[in-house]
Amino acid sequence: MAAPHIPKLNTLSNARGTGHGRGRAGSGGILITGAEEDKSAKDRVVQQTDQDASVSRLSAVEAGYLDDPFAKYFVSGEGQRRFPIINRGTYVRTKAIDNLVDEFLSKNPAQEKQIISLGAGSDTRFFRLMSRRPVSHGRGILQRPNVIYHEIDFQANTIPKLHPIKKLSELSGHIGSPVMFSHSTNPSEIYNDDSLHADQYHVHPVDLRNLDPSRPAPRSFDFVDTALPTLIISECCLCYLPAAAADTVALYFTQHLFPNSTPVGLILYEPIHPNDAFGKTMVSNLAARGIVLQTLKKYGSLEAQAARMKSYGLEGTGGASVKDLWDKGVEGKEKERVAGLEMVDEVEEWELLAGHYCVAWGWRGGPEDDVWEGWKSMAERIGGK
Amino acid sequence: MSDLDKAISELRACKIIPEPQVREICHKARELLIEEANVVQVDAPVTICGDIHGQFHDLMELFRVGGDVPDTNYLFMGDFVDRGFYSLESFLLLLCLKVRYPDRITLIRGNHESRQITTVYGFYDECLRKYGSANVWRYCCEVFDYLALGALVLGTSSTLEPSFTDQSQATEAVDDDVEIEIMNSRNEITARFPRSRRRLFESDGLNSSPPGTPSKAGPPGTGATSDSGGSHLSGGAVLCVHGGLSPLIDSVDKIRLLDRKQEVPHEGAMCDLLWSDPDEIDTWGLSPRGAGFLFGPDIVKRFNHLNDLSLIARAHQLVMEGFKEMFDSSIVTVWSAPNYCYRCGNVAAILELGEDTSNGGVVSRSNGDPGRSSQAFSPNQALRSGPGRRYRVFEAAPQDPRGMPAKKPVADYFL
Repeated sequence: MAAPHIPKLNTLSNARGTGHGRGRAGSGGILITGAEEDKSAKDRVVQQTDQDASVSRLSAVEAGYLDDPFAKYFVSGEGQRRFPIINRGTYVRTKAIDNLVDEFLSKNPAQEKQIISLGAGSDTRFFRLMSRRPVSHGRGILQRPNVIYHEIDFQANTIPKLHPIKKLSELSGHIGSPVMFSHSTNPSEIYNDDSLHADQYHVHPVDLRNLDPSRPAPRSFDFVDTALPTLIISECCLCYLPAAAADTVALYFTQHLFPNSTPVGLILYEPIHPNDAFGKTMVSNLAARGIVLQTLKKYGSLEAQAARMKSYGLEGTGGASVKDLWDKGVEGKEKERVAGLEMVDEVEEWELLAGHYCVAWGWRGGPEDDVWEGWKSMAERIGGK
Repeated sequence: MSDLDKAISELRACKIIPEPQVREICHKARELLIEEANVVQVDAPVTICGDIHGQFHDLMELFRVGGDVPDTNYLFMGDFVDRGFYSLESFLLLLCLKVRYPDRITLIRGNHESRQITTVYGFYDECLRKYGSANVWRYCCEVFDYLALGALVLGTSSTLEPSFTDQSQATEAVDDDVEIEIMNSRNEITARFPRSRRRLFESDGLNSSPPGTPSKAGPPGTGATSDSGGSHLSGGAVLCVHGGLSPLIDSVDKIRLLDRKQEVPHEGAMCDLLWSDPDEIDTWGLSPRGAGFLFGPDIVKRFNHLNDLSLIARAHQLVMEGFKEMFDSSIVTVWSAPNYCYRCGNVAAILELGEDTSNGGVVSRSNGDPGRSSQAFSPNQALRSGPGRRYRVFEAAPQDPRGMPAKKPVADYFL
């Protein structure tokens, strides 16, 4: 099963070691052994969850829930129509995170900011942010944001992600001028197979499990500005890691990479409530597909998620189930519009499913504490303490 | 073996039957259904079932638990198709059984028995996938248009007969005082609720009365208390409908006057009957489903009183415990799709109503006394005593029983 994958991985690892002068020995080299084969098979299952997510995104776009002209570029093969509750869930989660991102970016809009998306996969948020016309938001106007956007994912996901970006001007037109590693003389390195570095957009082919405070950071992290107010997003990413490894990754950013003086916020989108009938079925159904929700036991409630944020050194916390985000977070005409898109004859099922996912957010101040003002009010309005 | 019996045995093995045969069976079914009234009269004993949703293997489990057709008299309250992976096999099997044993199985229409809904929720795609064209879907939709909108169960008993498969306890008569009995799929009694003391018990499926609502036993001297002492009394008439009530319908007779032979409309009485839900509200409310209404306890109690009903049985809403009685047992939701969508983790239930044999099987029924509708109805008025009710609760069939070539269903999550 895993065999066809091995030579490819080795080749790539060699290429990186020699051609780019980026030996990965320091951050865990790739050496395939029997146990590793099994591990890489498991990794592929997790990597493939991204295709599932991108198909769901396109379904929500085509049904009119989301406005995202980029979704179609990142679905390989045929799209698939999802059931209305899946579309609605995709919508609620995307909008909730969009709102948090907008609150962050719209505060002192002239101030340069940074977003790091963990396990970004085929996510289109960067392109949506960069392509939008000025829109009114709250009391202000949102311009094309002054932000540096980083995406970190398995190489197996960054390669297919970059494929359409390299090929299509609809995408590459948004990434700004390419930048190079300072040592490099080879312009082709900018458009590597698995990485991309441009003014405002960076794609890092990094296995998050290799991040270790006692080792040097991956070289591409040179592009991360550790002084900028930074938002870290994990949309169904850290939940696939063992809880201890997920904590290590989160702490790597909040405690190691960024000094305490830098304002840092974290958004998590994850399943919750593994112990009721629906939760147990979810865990066993996904396990049958090889998908193990490893942090779910430890962080299985909004309270546990809030405590988790504190343990990462984030003082402020908020969080709400997707159900509450729909009930309380989507309002007025927009709610009417979305509710009218499809007949949802799955009311009880929606409440079950949406009650088992949450968006949690946590932040810490630094001198520019007010950058999180919108997050505080969102916590007060929809959930959190 | 007739062609029909062959088709039934094929379908029981979860195999599809040739398109021309589907066409013929749908045609025969329509001829039968066209003769049925909007509200079919069904005599007890009867086993009432809720949503099936194409969960074929669970339908087989239902027949195992509730008895086979024609041994058991069944009433299915709609939503045979959509969501599950075997809508075709499930619906065609039920339809073949209807054609083969028309007096032993009653099918009424659910909101998913509709062209529009089946194109969203899976049945249309399934037909296309399994037959390569939409013909079979079209034949089925034509049958949907002829399905009755409701059923009225008459001749129910206020007491429970011993369970038919109840070997260990067969000799032991059920106490006349027992109003509700809950059994598991192994035919074991898991709970019993006596008529007078029922509200002292709390069970997952039984909604406790909110404080301040009148006790059904009523004050001494009302009709309600006299029931508990007697034996083999009538349990009253039970109206079965997929969704619930409509603000446009205040009597069973008004349902009888509707022109049902059409696609389910987006609004109006027929739509409401298939889409509405009971809820703890005053009078009527807007439904979050975008069709039908929400209706409160006062609406149900008044409707039951005016129409001389003891109970409304309906389906339509997932309930985790398989059944849920509401509003002082004036309405019950029955849900028969265990682990709904292979995702929800719920159990399913069917409701058995026994036969009142006290009157030599003769059923007397009026649609209410003359002038009943002009009487003032007060919610404090005693409600009609309900039939003895046996709920059989069952779980999902094992995913791949006896090497059945079941495609492993994949439930959607957010990943």
